[in-house]
Amino acid sequence: MKIKLEKLEVQTRRDKELIDITPEVERVVRESGVREGVVNILTMHTSSGIIVTEGLPCLEMDVLNRLEALAPDEGDYYHNRYLDIDGRLGFNAGAHLKSVLGGYSAFFPIEDERIVKGSRQRIYFAEYDGPLARTYVVQVLGTANPPRQRPPQ
Amino acid sequence: MIDFHTHPLLVREMFEREPDLLRIARDVFYIRNIPQPLETFLLELDVSGLDRAVLLPIDASTTRGCQIYSNELIAELCEMSDRFIGFASVDPHKESAVDDLEHAVKDLKLRGLKLSPPTQEFYPNDAEPSGRGPSGRGLAYPIYEKAQSLGIPIVFHAGMSWEPRARAKYGQPIYLEDVACDFPELNIVIAHFGWPWVLETVMLALKYPNVYIDTAALYFDDPWDFLAFVMTRQVPLSAIEKSLRHKIVFGSNYPRVEIKNMVKAVKGLGLSDGCLKLIFEGNARKLLGEVAG
Repeated sequence: MKIKLEKLEVQTRRDKELIDITPEVERVVRESGVREGVVNILTMHTSSGIIVTEGLPCLEMDVLNRLEALAPDEGDYYHNRYLDIDGRLGFNAGAHLKSVLGGYSAFFPIEDERIVKGSRQRIYFAEYDGPLARTYVVQVLGTANPPRQRPPQ
Repeated sequence: MIDFHTHPLLVREMFEREPDLLRIARDVFYIRNIPQPLETFLLELDVSGLDRAVLLPIDASTTRGCQIYSNELIAELCEMSDRFIGFASVDPHKESAVDDLEHAVKDLKLRGLKLSPPTQEFYPNDAEPSGRGPSGRGLAYPIYEKAQSLGIPIVFHAGMSWEPRARAKYGQPIYLEDVACDFPELNIVIAHFGWPWVLETVMLALKYPNVYIDTAALYFDDPWDFLAFVMTRQVPLSAIEKSLRHKIVFGSNYPRVEIKNMVKAVKGLGLSDGCLKLIFEGNARKLLGEVAG
């Protein structure tokens, strides 16, 4: 079994946005040397998420708008209070709830060194309270490539 | 559009220059968010629709054994982006305070002064117990004289502070009346609406032409509910619109609050476009000497 973990930083640039991280995930898988296995993608922040959907700008807007409708920024939340652990008020329960609704992770199988996913599936980092420098984790687990065999002389 | 009240405490690049800053931010100023690259600060301004931000340090050498950002570091940050307007801070308990202020303004090109009586532990209008300072006048009076002669504004922390050791008694706005009265050419900004002494704060701003207020107040609920409480119920919105439109500057208190949220809160109060323009820009530019008063 081979395990490779990378922590990647992404600078979000808006209050809310979906950032396509598929190429980065594919790179980590490619460089991991894992032939058969799985890849896990997780955000390290509770006001962000990992989402898989079709890579279309209209869908990106629909996802964010629907999450805003379900968990609006402004609401009568218990989280709207001073948090001693942070030295500041919370009041971003809407972002936390979007993270709960949209999920914080995704996983895909790996077969023959490639991620097994639908042709239209894209992996997004979801920012719900930006702009911020955020960290997500890509972990690859599986059997390693067999050593290359020399062609017969 | 200008944010008149920010603290650049979580700028990651500055921790490399001054490693003790992280401890100071976490344990003295008491802000515990994850440090961010400078780019995040600038993006936060972009998202909020603001152009520039005033950077405020606090020199707490005597009372806390540290500077919550030195004047030199503020000047360095200002060189990294022309969107920053650097203010100085000096320690009122130090003999060198007046000279330090002159150096900060003349050599480091800082454009205002920040004092935090609850952090620096002094009454703005009173002599210290040791008796230093002119008889019957305040410990910080020589600093005010220098600021007045330099033509720079002073932002005073007023009201409650989240810093664990900072006592609100030093931040009661009424102590600033002597300063406003004794230094009529010195512009002072009462930060955080002086909360909870909002009416005292408003009283001073109504009466004294040289007294201003910033909006960097958030002590419970969320920005939009809290500012609506302060600026529409503790004080009627009509008083802001009619009597205080030339006396309030926008401040966020970033990073204790995101700038974007405070902008949204102030814009949502129901003030006229003309009043908002003064709060977000005109009044700040006047204080900075960029436009005539």
